Amino acid sequence: MENIFDRSVDLGEFVPQPDDDMIVCRCEEVTKGQIRQAVHDGMFTITEIRRYLRTGMGLCQGQTCAKLVKRIVANELKVSMDVLEPASSRAPMRPIEMEVFARENN
Amino acid sequence: MKRFDLIIVGAGPSGLSAAIEAANRGMNVVVFDENEKPGGQLFKQIHKFFGSKEHKAKVRGFVIGEQLLKEASEAGVTVVLNATVIGLYQDKEVVVKIGDGVEHYKADSVLIATGASENMVTFEGWTLPGVIGAGAAQTMMNLHGIKPGQKVLMLGSGNVGLVVSFQLLQAGCEVVGLVDAAPRVGGYGVHAAKIARCGVPFYLSHTIVKAEGTDCVTGVTIAQVDKNFQFVEGSEKHFDVDTICLAVGLSPMSQLLKMAGCKMEDNPKRGGQVPICDEFGATSIPGIFVAGDVSGIEEASSAMIGGRIAGITAAQYLGFIDKEEQLTKCEENKKALDGLRQGMFAPKNRGKLVEKTEEGIPVSMNLLEKGFIANDEMERFPGVTHKAGVHPVMECTQNIPCNPCQDACPKHCIKIGEKITSLPAVDESVDCIGCGMCVASCSGQAIFLLDETYEEGFAAVTLPYEFLPLPKEGEKGYGLGRDGKVVCEAEVVQVKTAKAFDHTNLLTIKVPADMAMKARFYKKEA
Repeated sequence: MENIFDRSVDLGEFVPQPDDDMIVCRCEEVTKGQIRQAVHDGMFTITEIRRYLRTGMGLCQGQTCAKLVKRIVANELKVSMDVLEPASSRAPMRPIEMEVFARENN
Repeated sequence: MKRFDLIIVGAGPSGLSAAIEAANRGMNVVVFDENEKPGGQLFKQIHKFFGSKEHKAKVRGFVIGEQLLKEASEAGVTVVLNATVIGLYQDKEVVVKIGDGVEHYKADSVLIATGASENMVTFEGWTLPGVIGAGAAQTMMNLHGIKPGQKVLMLGSGNVGLVVSFQLLQAGCEVVGLVDAAPRVGGYGVHAAKIARCGVPFYLSHTIVKAEGTDCVTGVTIAQVDKNFQFVEGSEKHFDVDTICLAVGLSPMSQLLKMAGCKMEDNPKRGGQVPICDEFGATSIPGIFVAGDVSGIEEASSAMIGGRIAGITAAQYLGFIDKEEQLTKCEENKKALDGLRQGMFAPKNRGKLVEKTEEGIPVSMNLLEKGFIANDEMERFPGVTHKAGVHPVMECTQNIPCNPCQDACPKHCIKIGEKITSLPAVDESVDCIGCGMCVASCSGQAIFLLDETYEEGFAAVTLPYEFLPLPKEGEKGYGLGRDGKVVCEAEVVQVKTAKAFDHTNLLTIKVPADMAMKARFYKKEA
């Protein structure tokens, strides 16, 4: 399957794996099993996974786990990694306190 | 809103190089960097760089950083530190967090040189404190003077893994092993040989099964993997360690470019998400340029040249120079860049097994599989010759773009020739005076001076030594083979340090005559 927008595809039954409880996104404490399950729940894009599980939305903003999550999702969908678009990049690019964000100094 | 001709994000090797070129052409340039110190990765690089003179070869990375900062300040570049760029918007508006608030800047051109971040791999226990990136280990040791741990296991045999392993040894850590799932060492053989002769074992076709410990790392288990990267049952090996270093590649930090709307691609050869750009570093958006690792993972020397090209091109884009000047200047830089992208480790050879050198000599397979050249593989290389009296032996056996040894010899007895990747050869018609300049000039620490007729029954081996405290003359110890195992007793007969050696000390040990081609390191008697 190279078209991830084909939602009618049958991924088969969710089969637990021994390392499903391994944490992948450290900031938001999301495990490999949760990510795999999310794909079976119908979350086929990185953006959807992000909204569903908050992977890559913590302190490091996906700096650590973006590639790891992508690999897991690609494996689950049986597609190559480059088929999956990375999540949107938005400001602020780094975590910032609202108080600082709101203070315009020039 | 403050305005500049060029805003650069990232004060690393490429960002600073671009800033210098642009400012020298009359542009008003500002560089923002989120770190408290400028220089990017350069200030962590305490080893001597490879390349030729124009690539600043044999100069240590942090010294290159100091030179760049000086040049930038002389060119009138403003470098703002602790300044985090949080957004790049339409019409090249850049929003920067500085101090307790945000500031808005605008420029007619923007250059993104944000570099890369370290990749991670997952295994049981990978979130335990004590599992760190190799870059983090370097930051601790070389910027903050802190030992990351006492006993370390390194995962990854690329140049980062090899160089950081050596630095860990220099910092006084014990490196229990270097592990890589690949069947062959990924980085330069000379870097591997440097740590192998200190006694670090290589475990190729191995990877980490799990990190052990409850509150922090107390041990690690590795196991062999087969061709399909599946664990081979019964091959597990355990080590007591407090630190596991991961050197498993880098990913470009290209989010700002994506946010700005530059056309991106997922290119595994360049390390992940990268902007589509031309040979001058111009992205799909006019006036937005890139340089360095953010546009594709390479190393600091090519990042500096890429930065120069992008800086010159930005100057042309805004009309500070004409097209002709841009093309001429960029052409010079491209030649230098091409020089770096030659040889066995050239981007085009990535992942390939090169079996023969450019000279047609079979490559040392032992070097690729165990990290050191086997005794019976040594004699076939042009840097290895024998004669009475002192002479150099160059254990440089892979075609890498590097040639400082050629210029180092005042007698010109080392020949590389026009092609920078050629293996160094000894001109046997010239008499070596034993000055040791070649030994100290070799960034790979692969040159030794041999006196096979030093004394009746004994030979003298002079080796590069970058550990403290320095051994003393007259001290007794052991000669270690290329594999780091004791091969003989040895006596230190000379320790030479000189300003021209730039902190590479020359240690001469007296060993039994038949050990002249075997003893390559020294260990003090316990």
